[in-house]
Amino acid sequence: MSSLTLRLDSGQVLGLLGVNGAGKSTTLAMIAGALAPDSGAIKLNGKDFLEHPELARRVIGWLPERAPLWPELTVSEHLEAHGRLRGLRGAELAQARRRIVERLELGTLARRLAGVLSQGQRQRLGLACALLHGPHLLVLDEPANALDPVQVAALRGVIREQAAAGTAIILSTHLLAEVTAACDRVAILHEGQLRYDSAIEGGDHKALEQTFFDIAMRGNGSNNRMQAA
Amino acid sequence: MSVIAVTRLELRRLFVRPLAWVLAALTLAQLAWRFTLLLGGFLAGQIKLAALPGGPGYTDLVGVPMLSSILTGGALPFGVVELALVIVPLLTMSSIAGERSNGTLPLWFAAGLPASRIVLGKYLALMLWLVLWLALALAMPLSLAHGVTLDWGKLASASLGLLLTLAALAAIGVACSAYASHASIAASVALTLGLALAGVDIAAQKAGATNGVSGWLALSSHLEAMLRGLVSTADIAWFLIVIVVALALATQRLAAEKERG
Repeated sequence: MSSLTLRLDSGQVLGLLGVNGAGKSTTLAMIAGALAPDSGAIKLNGKDFLEHPELARRVIGWLPERAPLWPELTVSEHLEAHGRLRGLRGAELAQARRRIVERLELGTLARRLAGVLSQGQRQRLGLACALLHGPHLLVLDEPANALDPVQVAALRGVIREQAAAGTAIILSTHLLAEVTAACDRVAILHEGQLRYDSAIEGGDHKALEQTFFDIAMRGNGSNNRMQAA
Repeated sequence: MSVIAVTRLELRRLFVRPLAWVLAALTLAQLAWRFTLLLGGFLAGQIKLAALPGGPGYTDLVGVPMLSSILTGGALPFGVVELALVIVPLLTMSSIAGERSNGTLPLWFAAGLPASRIVLGKYLALMLWLVLWLALALAMPLSLAHGVTLDWGKLASASLGLLLTLAALAAIGVACSAYASHASIAASVALTLGLALAGVDIAAQKAGATNGVSGWLALSSHLEAMLRGLVSTADIAWFLIVIVVALALATQRLAAEKERG
């Protein structure tokens, strides 16, 4: 990755577009605190996570591309473990678990081992773990991968709900339709650089598609088209 | 607090995996067999031994030999130390390498945990399991404490030596798991290192090298004194050095992984 500046407001959904290998997952891992950048700052409400990594624990929720789960633990144990890692305890943890199990309809899976879940169920559990502690910033790396259309619609519902509640969301994908359906801003990464950053206006899919292909195929359409969000 | 969260989760994972239970069952069964044989030998020679002034008692013939073959030789089934050389690498192999293959390692970083706390949390969980295992092994000779004269000091010294040995082997296992890409590689390397540490002095003697370096490096020479009832600061320091160095290496590897991805 090279110099990348992104600013996201509360309640905003940013779609991070790019071809495979563009640097989306690396960027999101850095934002989530899983990977340390060589330089720079990642701030939420003016506080830098790199200087205070424990802050990320309470305010960021992260769902990596392949939901990371411990195959030998049950769905319920995952929620418990994630809650504790994110600083939830006692009644607060129990309440958060109840709320997320109900919202993502995980009740029937609660005692099932993560190792035997289907891909869609794994993704749902990963999302539950990311949302459990009520994060202010939600980082989703290709969350619609391996989901069927019904699950994709449900996921969009959750994203809209979270955004309406004031959560800032970054959603990485290589699907243009996903961005236009769920996001109100789009940023395009190419070869580790930010090439485009703009609000999505009136669902202009064709223009966005053209821009994306310009950047992805020819590597141009870059700085001169970049706009401040 | 976060170390406790890591320890708690690691313990949970350890106890729901069949491997830990199978290892515990097999090794305790084998130790029970060793205990029976040692006890049989003690009972058979009891009258003769009672006639010897200052002759070996229950602690020398059953209690301490239960823990290690170092003093008794290898004619009987393995003692706790010999079994630990094999089971500790098997227990520790997945502690970090397993997380790496599950893709769950970044979750710990994302939770804002420094590498040192992740390593320490996992190490503590493994140690809790090993302490429990050691307690069950010690329960066998201690079960007859009401009917025999135990040398409590010698048994305590031997138990401390065993505990430090388990702690050193676990730290080496965690370090190997931090560096290895697969759990099986971690187990193989940890086993090799453990065996090398245990037998470096014997190998050196056989090769004709009788300098003090191989003796100082060898785990057995530090453990042997404790099994005989002699606790010295130098021996404890050796174990602590091994533990600290191994855990520091594991921490350094994890921290580098967060830096490099």
